[in-house]
Amino acid sequence: MSFLNNILRRLFDAALSPFSGLHPLVGIAVVSLVLGVAMLLVFKWTSKQEKMTAVKRQIHAGLFEIRLFNDNLRAILRAIGTILHHNLRYLGLTVVPLLWMIVPFVLIVAQLQFHYGYQGLEPGAQALVEVELDQSAGGLGGVRPAITLEAPPGLLIEAGPIWVPSARELTWRISAVEQGDYELVLKTSDGEITKSVRVSGQVVRRSPKRLAAGFFNQLLYPAEDPLPASTPIRAIGLSYPAGNAGFEGWESELTWMIFFLVLSIIFAFALRKPLKVTL
Amino acid sequence: MKPWSGPLALALALPLLACGGHGDAPAQTMIVLGIDGMDHALTQQYMEQGILPNFSRLAREGTFQPLGTSSPPLSPVAWSNFITGMDSGGHGIFDFIHREPDTMIPYLSTSKTEDAGTTVKLGKYQFPLSGGGIELMRRGEAFWEVLEREGVESTIIRMPANFPPTGAATRELSGMGTPDVVGTYGTFSFYTSVLFAFSGQSLNGGDVYEAWEEDGVVEAKLHGPDNPFLRESEKVTTEFKVYIDPEEPIAKLEVGEEERVLEVGEWSDWVPVEFEFIPTQSLAGTCRFYLRSVRPEFELYVSPINFDPMAPGMPISHPEDYAAELAAATGTFYTQGMPEDTQALRERVLSREEFMAQAKIAGEEIRRQYDYVLEQFQSSSSPRRFLFYYFGNLDQISHMMFRVLDPEHPTYDPEVDSKFASVIEDLYRNADEVVGYTLDQMDESTTLIVMSDHGFTSLRRQFSINTWLKEAGYLAVRNPNMSSDPGLFVNVDWSRTRAYGVGLNGLYINLKGREPNGIVEPRDRLALIREIGDKLLEVIDPKTGVPAVGKVYPREESFQDRGEEEIGPDLVIGFAKGTGGSGQSILGAVPKEMFSDNTEEWTGDHGMDHETVPGILLTNRPLKQAAPRLQDLAGAILAEFGIEGFPVRKSD
Repeated sequence: MSFLNNILRRLFDAALSPFSGLHPLVGIAVVSLVLGVAMLLVFKWTSKQEKMTAVKRQIHAGLFEIRLFNDNLRAILRAIGTILHHNLRYLGLTVVPLLWMIVPFVLIVAQLQFHYGYQGLEPGAQALVEVELDQSAGGLGGVRPAITLEAPPGLLIEAGPIWVPSARELTWRISAVEQGDYELVLKTSDGEITKSVRVSGQVVRRSPKRLAAGFFNQLLYPAEDPLPASTPIRAIGLSYPAGNAGFEGWESELTWMIFFLVLSIIFAFALRKPLKVTL
Repeated sequence: MKPWSGPLALALALPLLACGGHGDAPAQTMIVLGIDGMDHALTQQYMEQGILPNFSRLAREGTFQPLGTSSPPLSPVAWSNFITGMDSGGHGIFDFIHREPDTMIPYLSTSKTEDAGTTVKLGKYQFPLSGGGIELMRRGEAFWEVLEREGVESTIIRMPANFPPTGAATRELSGMGTPDVVGTYGTFSFYTSVLFAFSGQSLNGGDVYEAWEEDGVVEAKLHGPDNPFLRESEKVTTEFKVYIDPEEPIAKLEVGEEERVLEVGEWSDWVPVEFEFIPTQSLAGTCRFYLRSVRPEFELYVSPINFDPMAPGMPISHPEDYAAELAAATGTFYTQGMPEDTQALRERVLSREEFMAQAKIAGEEIRRQYDYVLEQFQSSSSPRRFLFYYFGNLDQISHMMFRVLDPEHPTYDPEVDSKFASVIEDLYRNADEVVGYTLDQMDESTTLIVMSDHGFTSLRRQFSINTWLKEAGYLAVRNPNMSSDPGLFVNVDWSRTRAYGVGLNGLYINLKGREPNGIVEPRDRLALIREIGDKLLEVIDPKTGVPAVGKVYPREESFQDRGEEEIGPDLVIGFAKGTGGSGQSILGAVPKEMFSDNTEEWTGDHGMDHETVPGILLTNRPLKQAAPRLQDLAGAILAEFGIEGFPVRKSD
């Protein structure tokens, strides 16, 4: 998973770099278009198009029957039954293409999330660095872990850490001084661990969390390599502000996805006939 | 501003220019900087000392003069005089506090909230079918309404006594008088583990809550307004947690999804908070936290919860999204009208150093915003435009720190106050820096006016008007032995009371037919006013041996404008310089002491005889029309744009 993420990160960083200085909606629209086309083609190649056409005809016939015999309750009920039956058949026919698409779709969305779901730090902005430790550390009355944080020039450690034993968590407050890509260094008894920090207003990959290895951790947070297994650190968080897809006041980590889904659907429906795809 | 709005405005203006319109008028731009509380004598002194070079430059090139203030010289009154060109008799603002004649309940004078109309009741809930409202109580036409009518694009930022904004200017942000989310001028919260902290005292302008650390965590609630969807009055709250480090003086705040790390002695940035009324209705607010101590006792100050300018729950700007534009450009800001938390210092919840730090934060926000507003103003394509920008920092800090200029003040301590010796001077230097910045940014054809609403002086002594009225036989109390009068006239025996004081300078006759329990016949009113006025002028402060009252102004003589005079006091008391009304008397209490030393942190004031505390008027060129008084200034400003005949009085 880590190897795959590494490839995907490079691929998406390169593919989205032409849009990094543009309004976020431009990149989202282009990705939606490309993905809409790609998914249409996958759908076309992996689904039984003739059967789908036939099933849709059956559904239309059922609807027609309802309109035609609207004074005959028995006929209407029979038509509804037919429609439901063919609807289920239609759904069944979409399972295979959906299975083909679901994995790449999740991987792609996960990559996009870390390009568009968060805003970068601006110089002067503050953020929290939260380090979550495993069971071996802390607990109520637990000993304060000997972990220190070092910041490169361009970042400033303003306060901390605060140690919250009940949550096994150390938190620092940092602030951005200059634009740039940085690595914070956490020093533990087992060695050094880094955490990326991007001080930039452009659309670039940002990692709000670096997690320990694990399939779901890597599936959902692919923006950075997993933490080494030898460390007691389970997660390092960085509080990037939520993204807004370029629309002030619409701050949410999922704002971009609304635009992405709507645009993908629009593109897919607009292009289904030119691409001769039955949906 | 949108990138296309400049060219578009120009394109739209071209036809107008071609066919006359305002194209015949010369291009005119004017900037007015309103600096609340800037005192004429002090300004002159600092100018002579050479520490206000930009002010001196203006004085050389234009005018520098005292600007006669309002009677009484209180900010809402004074700014209303400026806005309308009329005195209180015309605009209806006589004090910070008025009293409702039907109920005798004091209320804030500049705006009034109206509850929602019909509601549908369902169990413990109620659902309003129509919204409530908030009404600006200032009457008369604002001078920028005339400017806009005459084609002058106006930007009015933080004008006092302008909440809700008139909506007449191109851009407006409301100022003094804008409430916090609970509807007050600012209610802070203080969370403490100190047992019985402030017990027995009611705090003005703040609430104290006990907060205990348990397993390293303090859990508490932020308190919002009453929930309008509940039939029974109940404040809406939102929870927050403070995680305290077991060893270090540092804590982590958790409010909803927001987290902040604060060391002891640090202020947070603005933290958004949300108060949920019902699942589909909530109110967005924002506040700052100050971690005062984590051990041995936990102490956390939370600023009054302000409206979130990105989604304000009340109309604080015009257009409605202008507040959001300002916040997006320069950051979230105090939306409450008077952001400096003077009450927290008065109640000693904040120390002087802490208050100064808080006031600095507020001042910097307003200064940052000025740069943006001025830049927008300068880049506007409109040939005729007007900007008013208000600075309240000097006034509020002068109230709390004026003692440093007065070694004879009862609370002056040379050792303690030496730390703050230059505070007032620094405020004037800051104002000078703003003027210098403005002069650098503006072109030579722009008229610059720097003005203040009133001056300042030391407040050494307090005089309780209600206690004097009682001693003089004009006011009777029900219980002469009441140990602590809570105010609101609870101890006043109306059946034997002929006059009473409420507000900072107001004295009212208990008039039959006007007051609910009035006993004075209307025909006796004027004679009684004169009798009381004459006696007040004879009152001598036993400690200082000087009169407590400099002048008195019966309503009929004090106010030349008419229409709203019935709201106001029958007599305006012009306290002698150095003396002010007692804080208790202002809200209808009858304290035991008639005179007392002012031992509060509030050591500077201006609520005296208006002739003793003039403001200033500085311009970069002589004005076409003289403005000896604040209420003449709006007319003079309009005259600069070639507009005559302001204000239009009712009698006109």
